[in-house]
Amino acid sequence: MVNIVFKFFIAISCLLIFRGLLAEPLLDGADFDYGEYLSGQCLTCHQNSSDEGIPAINGAEALYIAKKLILYKNKELGNEVMQLVAGALDKEQIASLAIYFNSLEK
Amino acid sequence: MNNLSRRSFVSFALASTSLLAMPAISTGSARPKVVVVGGGAGGATAARYIAKDSKGAIDVTLIEASKHYYTCFYSNLYLGGFRDYDSIGHSYNNLSANHGVNVVHDWAISVDSSARKVRLGSGATVSYDRLVLSPGIDIKYDSIDGYSVEAQTKMPHAWKSGTQVKVLRDQVLNMPKGGTFAMVPPPNPYRCPPGPYERISMVAHILKEKNPTAKIVVIDPKNKFSKQGLFMAGWEKHYPGMVEWIDNDTHGGIKNVNPETMEIETDLDTFKADVACVVPAQRAGAIAMNAGVTDGDWSPIVPASMQTKADSNIYVLGDASVASAMPKSGFSANSQAKVAANHIRGELTDSRVFPAKFSNTCWSLVATNDGIKVGANYKAGEEKIEVVDKFVSKTDEGNAKRKKTYEESIGWYNGITTDMFS
Ligand SMILES: Cc1cc2nc3c(=O)[nH]c(=O)nc-3n(C[C@H](O)[C@H](O)[C@H](O)COP(=O)(O)OP(=O)(O)OC[C@H]3O[C@@H](n4cnc5c(N)ncnc54)[C@H](O)[C@@H]3O)c2cc1C
Repeated sequence: MVNIVFKFFIAISCLLIFRGLLAEPLLDGADFDYGEYLSGQCLTCHQNSSDEGIPAINGAEALYIAKKLILYKNKELGNEVMQLVAGALDKEQIASLAIYFNSLEK
Repeated sequence: MNNLSRRSFVSFALASTSLLAMPAISTGSARPKVVVVGGGAGGATAARYIAKDSKGAIDVTLIEASKHYYTCFYSNLYLGGFRDYDSIGHSYNNLSANHGVNVVHDWAISVDSSARKVRLGSGATVSYDRLVLSPGIDIKYDSIDGYSVEAQTKMPHAWKSGTQVKVLRDQVLNMPKGGTFAMVPPPNPYRCPPGPYERISMVAHILKEKNPTAKIVVIDPKNKFSKQGLFMAGWEKHYPGMVEWIDNDTHGGIKNVNPETMEIETDLDTFKADVACVVPAQRAGAIAMNAGVTDGDWSPIVPASMQTKADSNIYVLGDASVASAMPKSGFSANSQAKVAANHIRGELTDSRVFPAKFSNTCWSLVATNDGIKVGANYKAGEEKIEVVDKFVSKTDEGNAKRKKTYEESIGWYNGITTDMFS
């Protein structure tokens, strides 16, 4: 009985976390395939093979990526290349990139 | 045989002499076929992305003359002693091993666009549904009086992948004390707009250390150049009095060069050099001309897809294309390759095609830990690739920022070469 309650509890928690993720407004409208295409622009510089000079971003938290991109877009973080890249991304594109990079192996 | 091993077998067969006996190369599959000519920044990226993203649904053959690709990007850093030569060489092994690309090391000699076939140096033919040409540049040897294929050992251009840059480095290292290094940059449009000026910086860097009384004279067929203010301020700061840049209006035009006497004659004067790097005008690699997709020296393209205006089955990437506002750079070629790869997959496998997005950043090294950059992103206009936004380093930014910019360029080099060859 305890076991069943426990499982139920876990299942509900998972559901809530999952819904929470989807409900996260920063990730609204995310489109995985679009993210894969857009990632091409990032992969010219961001690769797992090297963390030197430019960070590897594969497998990073989706929200973390989205928030960073928004900071660059608003020029609140200072790197000209990133400001340029993020400046040209809309909300859906940012969300798509965030979930795509999150899906990649670290 | 499963697909991959069959493909590996084909690669092997292609590499062996049995190819000569074969009338045509066939992988024996009904998969749509993409042939990519040129395994540089544009071609290697395109082959890798089409093969990787189509997950085997498209049969990709890459025809590349050389077994190893030595990047022109960072070749100036090799010249300046910041990299060793091996570190800028890359092999094609992973493209076949990881993505099943049939890599054929041969020259593409001609394209029959109505039969959709490419003829190779070996005599074999390869048929295609879509053809991607990214052959880079050819040097217009006759664009400077007195320059020739033979002249290039005496006055190397070192503007194509390969060992000429080694010759140039040896010549600079062995220059007589207090001697003169002359540089003749190319006229527009040419591969890598800041490249000649980064090269001058790297030569100055060597000379400052090993031959500090030597001089550098730049005899430019142009009156201005990329990142000019940044480079000139850098030369004044790091190499005061060493570099003299003479614009076209001042010298009045380059009349000829003489590799025997090492002289460069202009309207104004005749310059005598101990070492000279002469980079003539350029045009699209010969195979683009042969395929009939050029107009003048370069290949006009449709911005949304990189298809040529002349033939919608043929795409031209990188230096060989007329990419309007985008400079001829490795970054640009890599960026265009992804747009083309997405479009080709869509055409051949009905995968989703997304709007073209292009970008470019060119980093240059002026001196130890003094990196500068210029960049832009672009969109496909109706007729041209158009700038959306751009930036350039500032002359007054601090040393820490310049060092960071240099470190970022190392990240970019590792990134782009992984993106091409992993
Ligand atoms: C000194 C220098 C510094 C540079 N620095 C930078 C930099 O810092 N950043 C940057 O982004 N760019 C830089 N560039 C520019 C960059 O190297 C080129 O723009 C880029 O390589 C263009 O890519 P591509 O695919 O058009 O041609 P390439 O990279 O030249 O590739 C063409 C390939 O096609 C092969 N080929 C050609 N014809 C045939 C044929 N018929 N059959 C088979 N194979 C064929 C060639 O062997 C070659 O491997 C620099 C260039 C120079 C010269």
